[in-house]
Amino acid sequence: MNFQQLIKTLDEYWIGHGCHISQPYDVEMGAGTMAPDTFLRSLGPEPWNVVYVQPSRRPTDGRYGENPYRMQRYFQYQVIMKPAPDEVQDIYLGSLAALGIDLGQHDIRFVEDDWEAPTLAAAGVGWEVWLDGMEITQFTYFQQVGGLPCRTVAVELTYGPERLAMYVQGVDDYRQLDWSDQIKYGEIRYEEERQFSRYNFDVANTEMLWQLFDMYEAEVYACLENNLALAAYDYVLKCSHAFNLLDSRGALSVTERGTMILRIRKLACRVAEQYLAQREELGFPLLAD
Amino acid sequence: MAADLLYEIGVEEIPADMVLPALEQLEQALGQGLERLRLGHGKICTYGTPRRLAVLVEGVDERQEDVVEEIKGPPAQAAFDADGNPIQAARGFAQSRGVELAALEVRRTDKGEFVFARVSQPGKAAAEVLPDLLKAATENLTFRKTMCWAEPGFRFARPLRWVVALLAGEVLDLTIAGVRGGRVTRGHRMLGGSSIEIATPDKYLELLEANGVIADHRRRREAIVAQATELAAAQGYRPRIDPEVLTEVNFLVEYPVCIMGGFSAEYLKVPEEVVVTVLQGHQKALPVEDESGNLVPHFIAVTNADPEAADTVRRGWEKVIVPRLDDGQFYYEQDVRTPLPERRDELKRVTFMGKLGSLHDKTERLVALVGWLAEQLADITEQDARAARRAAELAKCDQVTMMVRDGKLGEALEGIIGGYYARACGESAEVATALAEQYQPRQPGDPVPVSPAGRLLSLADKIDNLAAAFCLGQVPTGSADPYALRRQTAAIIEIATQSDYHFPLSGLIERALELLPEPEQTGGVLSAGEAADELKAFFAERLQAAWEQRGIGYDICRAVLTAPWDEIADAAARADFLASLRESQPEAFAELANAAERPARIARPEAIPDVAEVDAGLFQHPTETRLAEEFAAVQEQVEAIMTDESPDFGRAAELMAALLPTIHQYFEDVMVMVEDEALCRNRLTLLRRIDELFLRLADFLEIVPAAE
Repeated sequence: MNFQQLIKTLDEYWIGHGCHISQPYDVEMGAGTMAPDTFLRSLGPEPWNVVYVQPSRRPTDGRYGENPYRMQRYFQYQVIMKPAPDEVQDIYLGSLAALGIDLGQHDIRFVEDDWEAPTLAAAGVGWEVWLDGMEITQFTYFQQVGGLPCRTVAVELTYGPERLAMYVQGVDDYRQLDWSDQIKYGEIRYEEERQFSRYNFDVANTEMLWQLFDMYEAEVYACLENNLALAAYDYVLKCSHAFNLLDSRGALSVTERGTMILRIRKLACRVAEQYLAQREELGFPLLAD
Repeated sequence: MAADLLYEIGVEEIPADMVLPALEQLEQALGQGLERLRLGHGKICTYGTPRRLAVLVEGVDERQEDVVEEIKGPPAQAAFDADGNPIQAARGFAQSRGVELAALEVRRTDKGEFVFARVSQPGKAAAEVLPDLLKAATENLTFRKTMCWAEPGFRFARPLRWVVALLAGEVLDLTIAGVRGGRVTRGHRMLGGSSIEIATPDKYLELLEANGVIADHRRRREAIVAQATELAAAQGYRPRIDPEVLTEVNFLVEYPVCIMGGFSAEYLKVPEEVVVTVLQGHQKALPVEDESGNLVPHFIAVTNADPEAADTVRRGWEKVIVPRLDDGQFYYEQDVRTPLPERRDELKRVTFMGKLGSLHDKTERLVALVGWLAEQLADITEQDARAARRAAELAKCDQVTMMVRDGKLGEALEGIIGGYYARACGESAEVATALAEQYQPRQPGDPVPVSPAGRLLSLADKIDNLAAAFCLGQVPTGSADPYALRRQTAAIIEIATQSDYHFPLSGLIERALELLPEPEQTGGVLSAGEAADELKAFFAERLQAAWEQRGIGYDICRAVLTAPWDEIADAAARADFLASLRESQPEAFAELANAAERPARIARPEAIPDVAEVDAGLFQHPTETRLAEEFAAVQEQVEAIMTDESPDFGRAAELMAALLPTIHQYFEDVMVMVEDEALCRNRLTLLRRIDELFLRLADFLEIVPAAE
């Protein structure tokens, strides 16, 4: 099964379980959780069932393309179901079977791992799912998002599609993955890893990034004042990415790091509050009568 | 008639360390609950896996025992007239209790004659009363962390998905978190059925086993040890089994199947702890060793898979473990290239806590603190002190190595890896050992550092953390203790007590606070004085907890800690002594407490001031003179004993208790609170000196007398 078939198979599987396919969000971010489809939509009582692939940028994880497992930009396959169905563990296992993994021939385990995102004031309870000792999915019941407690609990499944594909295809280097039958992952993305690692670690203009961070932060507050939570959130994401680049440039002391995390966290909380208030004002339109 | 009871809570995979505590709570709640409900029963047995918490109770009575309750009513006099006819009070009482007037009985008690009613309560069926008990036992379970999912207001370790509640063949009527009790359980996710009907409780274990679940965790544990031993023995090796890791892996599986995998012997060139941490820490696999205890390039994974799939599973595990060992080796090789002392400058860029400067600043405080401690402690040699100071300088250098910065490896290896890096760049063995031991004891029950330099460094590190946190107002409350200050205080207590290190605690606290930057710079919320008081009180609280855990009575702990104390080792020795005296010679203990009590009670209130020196010229009664003389002799001897390096508390206690007859006589013969002020002050002062002498041992007013 090549990489694109794997994604297609998961898409079909989750469509079958009532999810709609969203598309990647078009602002740089560190994880699928940060997309509005998860961060904002998991707030409040409205039902929400969605899947999407989210390109995730983690500048510090770059290895100039040379490490077989690590990349500064990779994909997360994200599933959100709210409220979490009772049998969600079984549904999830079904998705592995759909990928052709014969569960009876493997060691599948749910090992405690409570996810937490300090910049988003978000936390959940759950597991990392092991397939023969390898972590293939993060499985989380959200408990708090943007500082707000989750009364209607969403479940989040985050698959690492590259890892899964490496397992299914039996290769030990992301570059060797068949993206399609015609082209390999490395042929598409290696040069990008090489250039961006160099940019992230050695070139990015830190002076500019500091300025951008301040400007983005101010823009969040300006949007909030105009009651534009969705636009505000884009700038929270931009702050976060600027912060990640400063981090990969080694421009942050430990103290500064802590302070910036708190600044972003504050923005995320303010946006979450305003977003939820807006949905409430709209009468939570997705709630069935 | 008796029936077996089966109760099983089915959950999504509950964290491994939460299972046993939950089972203990269930067992206790059911045992106590059945007794309260007057339901006789046989053995209670608990079973736990990641997906189920179960209890089997054998032979539960099918009905509660009937009881006849005797209820005391009004006094007979008020209930009957002179002719013995019931009047209003009797009627009212009979009516309120639902008994016939004629059935009232009059009985003599030690407070006179009273009316009694005998009310009989017929027992209810067990099936009627058990549901509430089971529900309460479940809802009252506590876990270190809980979550909510669908059911509003209900919190549990993980979502609760099914409940089996059977009394003999009957389903008990209960609903927990929206889940109705039934007779259907689930088997192993891959090896068993997903819907298994249980006819009667006695079939539980065998039905589960037929569905790939060994519910009895004791049996699973044995099976893991047996399989791992056999696998390793086949190659002439043995598994290295850490009991905690064994417990953890046991509660990660329902049907244990051990597999042995291998890796390249190249990875064994790094320090053994790195390999062990990689295997045990993240992957939860068991290391394997040869007969002389050296690691061999194999690991044993405890899997939850079909034994037929072992080959596939093993290949998977090897693929995961090798890159992690590779990381460990890479970090080690990179790290040793930079001599440890050269990393000190880098510590200037790492903040310590809040605004309390950098890790580099911290190491300078550590140097000062180990120096101060070494001066206080007689048995620290100059060589130990030198090693401790050097180790303090280098203590935090490993924090900026790749190994420690890798979160999961770092947590387990900090200090230990620093010891290796120190040795690699030519530091002395004493310094390396001290670095490796600086975080010990890491948890309760861990050994304290063996080397004197390691002990000093560990004490200094912890008191600095405590002082810093208290300065910032980060005082632990309730379950919130983010810097693990309770554990660190317990560690200081352990080291001081086990090493018999005598140093003034308030001096150490003062020194630690003094070394920190001024609160104006740090935004600290407590002044040094306030922080010192709070810290000392915190130590008293932790000492009390530590001693009580060792079985020392609550009142003895209080008695030692309300009396003046400043040395942990000395206070601990006194608490131990008093506990063993009360245990082995209760009369001697009672005499001692008795002798201390009366002077303390009368002399403590401070309204009347002391005289500078007791004036024998003011004595009026021969007993006064006798007490003053006997006391002076005892005082001299006790003071001499107490200044010994290891005081003979037994002898001191004997001497003090011997004052008892004279003290008694004194209070017979002498009136202390007389109007003549000079006389009164003189008498009070003598009693206060006596009280102070007893306080050298403990404050006996805190002692709760043994019940007659």
